[in-house]
Amino acid sequence: MADLTLSNLKKSYDGKPVLHGVDITIPDGHFVVIVGPSGCGKSTLLRMIAGLEEVTSGTISIGETVMNDIEPADRGCAMVFQNYALYPHMTVRQNIAYPLRIAKLPRAERDSKVEAVAKILNLTEYLDRRPAQLSGGQRQRVAMGRAMVREPDVFLFDEPLSNLDALLRVQMRIEIKKLHRRLKATSVFVTHDQVEAMTLADTLIVMNAGRVEQIGSPAEVYRKPASVFVAGFMGAPAMNLFPAAIGAGGALVIDAPTGGVGIGRTSLAEGTPVTVGVRPENLLLSETAGAGLPATVDFVEELGGSRVAYCTLGDREIAATLPPGDQQLEGRPVWLTLPPEALHLYDRITGQRIDVPVHAARSSIPSAFAPSM
Amino acid sequence: MTTDVLRAPRPMARPLRRISDKSGLDTAAGHVLMVLLSILCLFPVYWMLASSLRPANAMFETSLWPTSMSLDNYRQALEAIPIGRMLVNTLVFSVVSTAFQLLTGLLAAFAFARWTFALDKLVYSAVALTWLVPFQVVMIPNYLLIAQMGLLDSIVALILPNLVSALAILLLAQAMRSFPREVIEAARMDGARNWRILWEVMVPNLRGTIASLAILIFISTWNEYFWPLLLSRTAENSVIQIGIQMFMTAEGNQWGPLMAASTLASLPVLVIYVVLQRQVVQSFMKSGIR
Ligand SMILES: Nc1ncnc2c1ncn2[C@@H]1O[C@H](COP(=O)(O)OP(=O)(O)O)[C@@H](O)[C@H]1O
Ligand SMILES: [Mg+2]
Repeated sequence: MADLTLSNLKKSYDGKPVLHGVDITIPDGHFVVIVGPSGCGKSTLLRMIAGLEEVTSGTISIGETVMNDIEPADRGCAMVFQNYALYPHMTVRQNIAYPLRIAKLPRAERDSKVEAVAKILNLTEYLDRRPAQLSGGQRQRVAMGRAMVREPDVFLFDEPLSNLDALLRVQMRIEIKKLHRRLKATSVFVTHDQVEAMTLADTLIVMNAGRVEQIGSPAEVYRKPASVFVAGFMGAPAMNLFPAAIGAGGALVIDAPTGGVGIGRTSLAEGTPVTVGVRPENLLLSETAGAGLPATVDFVEELGGSRVAYCTLGDREIAATLPPGDQQLEGRPVWLTLPPEALHLYDRITGQRIDVPVHAARSSIPSAFAPSM
Repeated sequence: MTTDVLRAPRPMARPLRRISDKSGLDTAAGHVLMVLLSILCLFPVYWMLASSLRPANAMFETSLWPTSMSLDNYRQALEAIPIGRMLVNTLVFSVVSTAFQLLTGLLAAFAFARWTFALDKLVYSAVALTWLVPFQVVMIPNYLLIAQMGLLDSIVALILPNLVSALAILLLAQAMRSFPREVIEAARMDGARNWRILWEVMVPNLRGTIASLAILIFISTWNEYFWPLLLSRTAENSVIQIGIQMFMTAEGNQWGPLMAASTLASLPVLVIYVVLQRQVVQSFMKSGIR
């Protein structure tokens, strides 16, 4: 069994903390994606698991074995690097066979393993080329082959697709997923790309500034972001977030040009400082006067399958997803409705999710409008 | 990305049109200048060759082409000193020095580039500083050491102070520092320890640098004069540069044999230069000597 357990894992560079105590358990065979903005410590975490970076404190275990002081090659981990990190002077065959050669495997066995891996990765006809003679996608596959041939307990991927063009990235994403179904090895995949993260993960780990913000299935993370950070980070266009107040009787009130407007009812105590979040696709936009909060459309982004309208509401910008269409909306006044059941509430001080339901306000807000376009 | 890191940077792209617009005069002037400079560089070599073929009575002719040619000077030179033996000595001296400087350079450079250890920066600076110490400062202590070891007048003594060079260490350490970190880490994950990483991963990818360095060291060792002059007692244990000097006597210089010996002495270097010209030029540019 190759459960991967990180407990209270910390890392500092020259006394400057980079990871502030990470606790993660990854069950055997799971595909885990760590996602977070650049510089949040994803690579550092992965490199610590690999053994390329020393642990400042805490433990890394694979199965029952504490790995902190074990050589990288003896941890049963294989890593695929962002820049592929192939040996430029070796052919594809030699690249893939290198770990086996070091392990002193007999030649015949080595060859048959290399051939088998090459076949899975469609590299057979390139075995005698050098990395410089391969395309980016092929190099990436060689890097995967070199990892696979060792039959590791754990695969580590550090943004392996970020140097590929968009089309290839999607293809490789699918290939990696298929490969995982086939090999069933525990995999930790690091990326800053949320689409990659959502599509690949069994379990998603969102990191920010050296801390784990949320662990959950992609759907969970998307539907119930555990913090303001996750809410803003996962999803494109990003979730709209703005400060709100809790008024008398738990009324949820936001500022609008016309003054405070109640947009829902909660069980929270009056005066609790909160942040309200609503995804652009949950916002309802209407051209009928009075149907919600008055706003102006600044700019419309055409995405083909949908459009995103960036509106100004008071001094705030709000994005709303619209169905495809041709209407000219830019510069036009519109009315926005925030459906209570689609609202996310966060503590404005701690940034943590407040899991209380929001009910429709009794008063003036009209019920949801279907977009009128 | 991976492999490209190891290649030399491409020269910046220049707009094509610009060149063809002005090119006529520019390139012509450039070519004239380069031809003049080439003549300036090549002439002494040519003069050496030409003089070595002039008979003794025509030594001071100023005609560009020897009016009569003979190999007398070569015969005389070969009779006067053991040129063959000296060339072999020089070759051994140069090859062994080069091999050792590369070996020690690679090992030391690896340590500097890949490890952190107590006082590593200080030690590195110390190595860099030894490069600045002129030979004249260390020649007497070195001479005394060699004398105490009883090695005067031997090839071993010639080689001994040339086993390690700061230039090799600094140049290789620099090249190793810019070696892609991920490739080394991949090797570590694959199970390679330091020894393998050095010889199987880094060295094959530093071939260009190593070759340039080897040529630099070889030529400068081949041309070494002062240290052999201090040590040598007998012609049999000397290098060719000392042999050449033997034709310069108190009674006057024997120009003919001297030129013949010089020609023979420059042949190996010339051959290396022609065969590996590109690499030599590059190596001079890389190490900033020019
Ligand atoms: N070798 C190092 N020395 C000092 N600081 C480092 C080193 N490696 C990474 N860091 C710092 O650690 C933080 C996290 O880096 P990294 O793990 O590479 O982030 P990510 O992969 O999420 O983009 C960054 O602020 C970075 O500057
Ligand atoms: Mg990174």
